[in-house]
Amino acid sequence: MEKVFNITLKIHRYDPELKRSWMQTYTLEAGRILRFVDLFRKINDEQDPTLAWNSSCEHGQCGTCSVLVNGKPMLACELLVENAVAQFGTATFEIKPLPVAPVVRDLVVDFEKAYHRVDTAKPYIIRPAPAPKQGQEYPITANELDQYVNATRCINCFCCAAACISSHKGFLGPNAMLACIVRMMDARELEKKQREEILFGDQGVARCHSSHACSFVCPKEIDVAHFIALAKEGRYKGGAEK
Amino acid sequence: MKIALKNMSTLRCEVLIIGAGGAGLRCAAEILEQRPQTQVIAVTKVAHPQKSHTATAQGGLAAVDPKDPADRTIFHMFDTWKGSDCMADQNVVKKISEASWEQIIWLENRGMHFSRDDQGRLSKRTFGGHTVNFGEASAYRAVFEADRTGKGIMDTGWGETMKRGISFMNQAIATELLFKAGRCIGCMVFRMKEGHFVRILSKATVFASGGSGQVFKVTTNCRQNTGDGLALVLQAGLPVMDPEAVQFHPTGIVGPGILASETLRSVGGILRNRDLEPFMERYAPKMKELAPRDLVARAIETEIREGRGILNPDHRIEHVWIDLRHLPQHIHDEQIPEVSGFFKKYLNLNPKTDLCPVRPSNHYHMGGIPTNEFGEVQNAAQEVIAGLFAVGECAAASFHGFNRLGTNSILELITMGKFVGQRVLSFISDSEGSYPEAKPVRTEAIFSGYAEARGRDNLGKIRDALRAVMTQNVGVFRTEAGIMAAIETLRELKARAEQTALSGKNPVMNPELIHRWELDNLLDVSMVIARAALDRKESRGAHFREDYPERRNEFNDHTLMMMPSFDRIEARSRPVEMCLFRAGGDHSEQFGWIARKY
Repeated sequence: MEKVFNITLKIHRYDPELKRSWMQTYTLEAGRILRFVDLFRKINDEQDPTLAWNSSCEHGQCGTCSVLVNGKPMLACELLVENAVAQFGTATFEIKPLPVAPVVRDLVVDFEKAYHRVDTAKPYIIRPAPAPKQGQEYPITANELDQYVNATRCINCFCCAAACISSHKGFLGPNAMLACIVRMMDARELEKKQREEILFGDQGVARCHSSHACSFVCPKEIDVAHFIALAKEGRYKGGAEK
Repeated sequence: MKIALKNMSTLRCEVLIIGAGGAGLRCAAEILEQRPQTQVIAVTKVAHPQKSHTATAQGGLAAVDPKDPADRTIFHMFDTWKGSDCMADQNVVKKISEASWEQIIWLENRGMHFSRDDQGRLSKRTFGGHTVNFGEASAYRAVFEADRTGKGIMDTGWGETMKRGISFMNQAIATELLFKAGRCIGCMVFRMKEGHFVRILSKATVFASGGSGQVFKVTTNCRQNTGDGLALVLQAGLPVMDPEAVQFHPTGIVGPGILASETLRSVGGILRNRDLEPFMERYAPKMKELAPRDLVARAIETEIREGRGILNPDHRIEHVWIDLRHLPQHIHDEQIPEVSGFFKKYLNLNPKTDLCPVRPSNHYHMGGIPTNEFGEVQNAAQEVIAGLFAVGECAAASFHGFNRLGTNSILELITMGKFVGQRVLSFISDSEGSYPEAKPVRTEAIFSGYAEARGRDNLGKIRDALRAVMTQNVGVFRTEAGIMAAIETLRELKARAEQTALSGKNPVMNPELIHRWELDNLLDVSMVIARAALDRKESRGAHFREDYPERRNEFNDHTLMMMPSFDRIEARSRPVEMCLFRAGGDHSEQFGWIARKY
């Protein structure tokens, strides 16, 4: 049995030449397990080829297609029509760009600028520990890895950063905190001092208001707030928790 | 829309990398580690390198661990040669296989979060086609980061290169290679966010532009993989090698077509048809579900063609089932959480209790820009094009020949990435200081053409028709009549594409402009794939001709295709490199023209 929904999308438009923004309404018929990226594409193909939106993998791995759906930051590729209708209790959806970077056009934001906050948290090993034996892996038990493995799953979709109630200018953001925390807990990172300065500095976890909005919206279901809470408790001072 | 290039700016850098995925950034990392302060610009179509398609790879990296008493690099080389259906270049196979473990350690030492055992060592698992003792038993040769190994490679890559001062130019497309006196001196780039062109002059240009899966209707590839790199190379008068060698992953998730990793089968999943029969027992009695991908893909397609498939009512796609219901909880929760999650997410199904629908999906392009073992791009006469390199999926060195084994693709990124980085370094240190200049010859005309075109045809419909005919006629099964019909359709679609007009006239983040450009690239790449599939009157690896079902010795060469114009394709060939066979030592007979039976 096919089920088809009548969906109304009110989509944020922005014209960079005229510097004008407005909400544009599109109505369309959609099969139950089409994703919102399929709907945007359908709009391009059948109604309005000028609607600008971004996607890449379209299966929740790259974090490109994040938008606000009725105010909630989500990946457009993971939102099925039937789930959206059930979850929001409506067939009308307002779609807006994530408020984490300047809008380039319509739903496309300048992600690069959003990444500056993550870059500040240094998402790499600053000072790698030498492996105990040349040409071998640094030993990390499954148990040790388990303590932080969920934090490594972050795809920088910026949904958490969008949902965060703290200032986007004053706080590096929940995903930036995760990037720092991962390396704090990773025994291969010797540079703990710089890590502490980032985590406990001016733009670090002290800015977090513990709203848990980040965990609530994370499409990878990472308990971001939990990692930040552990940091606030002082668990990461002086290196990885054993 | 004004597409005027006369006021465009020019940037200069020592190394220009087109594509910032796993291969491009491994190459960049090598350059920056060995020669800090090298000016490297990586141009990428996506919003940030982390969003590259590499990040979606799941299964793992093949590498013979020197500490493993059961495994040897010669076994890996054999598996790769056999898997390629005797079309991989053996010098490349040897080089990559011998470098593998070192590159795994390179990643690990820089923070990649490989899955571990209780002793703290890298976990290993089996993978289809990887054996010990020349096919005797499965090899535990794959290391992995849960089922997101590609993400790990990508995160390590962009972190390391950023740490060392790379410049990323995001949401930008390369539109034309620039040459002076036969040497590649840079590239024209269109910056989508800014809506203008920039000319980038570089001492070395490296193509790392990835795959071309969007040519097919059902694909695991991301939206950005429209074969842009191959199209650029064809436009520059250079060949594409083995374009007909396209891999179809046996288990794509019905609907989105996304990858349901081979891991599902390596942990014990069973394929069943409409009658719930475990049909792989009939097609590959010994390896069953772990037979190489093309074999499994054809088995599933055969089941469907012979009426033993199931029709999904929402997507109207026929499929078979993968049965995971018998697997222990911990396998579901620990080994395959992400991919199990896909079935829930996209179909509202639970793999612990429901059968899951799968169908072969386009997945990988073995063919690509021909290079030697150093990643130097070669013309049809196998002469090196100075200043031009290619690495990763867009290249054909060829590591995979006519069929790629799982876990060998992302291995290629990190091994060839390093080798190309090394070669680029020696190339640029041999170059003089000045930057030769050249003007673009095609870009302005092409883009003005898009801007000024009049017509009422629909871009989306043309694109969908292209993808449908390629999947139907140039997919898992190919025949002469079918391919010829596809070629005819491609010609019609090319003419139709010229009858589309842009409604939005501003070049800043203009989706129609980009889609129009991508459509031309898809058409070019589809045409060479189809022509090469037509010319190769045999079956080999992933290329299967119903009318020529056996492999034939007269086709024991690589295909080279050039496209002086859309209607004129020129075909050449290139011999397969067989140093392991020629060496004549122990086991050299395994590297001759062997049968591919599992």
